[in-house]
Amino acid sequence: MQDYREFLSEILIDEKTLQNRVEELGAEISRDYAGEDLLLICILRGGLVFMVDLMRHITVPHQLDFMAVSSYGAGARQSGGSVRLSLDLKTDIRAKNVLLVEDIVDSGNTIAYVLEFLQTRQPRSLKVCALLDKSERRETSVPIDYRGFKIPNKFVFGYGLDLDEYYRNLPFIAVVDTDRYHPPVFENLQTRRTQKP
Amino acid sequence: MQDYHEFLEEILVTPEQIAKRVAELGAQISADYTGKDLLVVCLLRGAITFTADLTRCLTIAPELDCMSLSSYGVGHYASSGNVRVNLDLRTNIEGRHVLLVEDIVDSGRTLSHVLTMLGTRDPASLKVCVLLDKKMRREVPAQVDYTGFDVPDKYVFGYGIDIDEYFRHLPFIATIDLKKYQKPD
Repeated sequence: MQDYREFLSEILIDEKTLQNRVEELGAEISRDYAGEDLLLICILRGGLVFMVDLMRHITVPHQLDFMAVSSYGAGARQSGGSVRLSLDLKTDIRAKNVLLVEDIVDSGNTIAYVLEFLQTRQPRSLKVCALLDKSERRETSVPIDYRGFKIPNKFVFGYGLDLDEYYRNLPFIAVVDTDRYHPPVFENLQTRRTQKP
Repeated sequence: MQDYHEFLEEILVTPEQIAKRVAELGAQISADYTGKDLLVVCLLRGAITFTADLTRCLTIAPELDCMSLSSYGVGHYASSGNVRVNLDLRTNIEGRHVLLVEDIVDSGRTLSHVLTMLGTRDPASLKVCVLLDKKMRREVPAQVDYTGFDVPDKYVFGYGIDIDEYFRHLPFIATIDLKKYQKPD
């Protein structure tokens, strides 16, 4: 596996800035939901690290739940088209305050679909908390109630965001120098790719 | 919702002790897998906090995947029955070095089922890292390669581990005084 320093173009958001902002978001959410009960929904897998850090700063009683989505047909989640639910919520969200926690909103297609889908279950409220907002890429309008950072249209990784499924564990958000980045090649890559939904 | 101070019996592991031990485990795992391509598998939901922190302590670059399991039996992982996969791995683990991250191992039944199941997919290696080991509760032998802390046979919460789906956010691991705890509505 290539060392990330070889293709790191710049650190867009360093660890301290990230952690401070996550703490602020947690405080803001705690204020807004004071006296209420809250359900945080994490969309796997990108949102995992952000959600874990965010919940540590949420002081109102809250539960967690998870969804996994993929897109039908070829291409990535960002490519539009219908969304397939690989893991549905364990919780019935009817009459609950729901906060969808996302690592990044770019085209907005997936999250718009998920919001529409969740709305049919009649939650009491449904809001969105996104760590990163790449608004230049927006194709479908999405209401973002809590926003960590607005970022330019650059290829980013770290803090839950992957490059070919790696580097999610880095504690900062960085920009890739695509000329110097070599996607991993493995003997079983073919099989691995066909496994992906 | 009840304030956790009302039913908190004892803080078993402090945030500082957790951070120190997680860093140690991260260093050990990084050393053991140097030069290897590692896939870390987080078992939802209890292991999320541990996985998020542990992977950030690794100096190697792992791939991360998640699995969600439940029991076919009645109760929370309590039966001796089989394990139901709610969310399977997205990754094909054939020929891969896999590290399973779990919050607690007690009876060892769930873990041994998962290991058997994943073993049939022919990974290059399959190891287990658990945050808490309740050894007193063991009913079947379970492979544990990395352990955070040995804990007594008590009902614990915090650091990703819930009580009725709440209190996962707390930065420490504590025991519950069940006499004082009231289930939420």
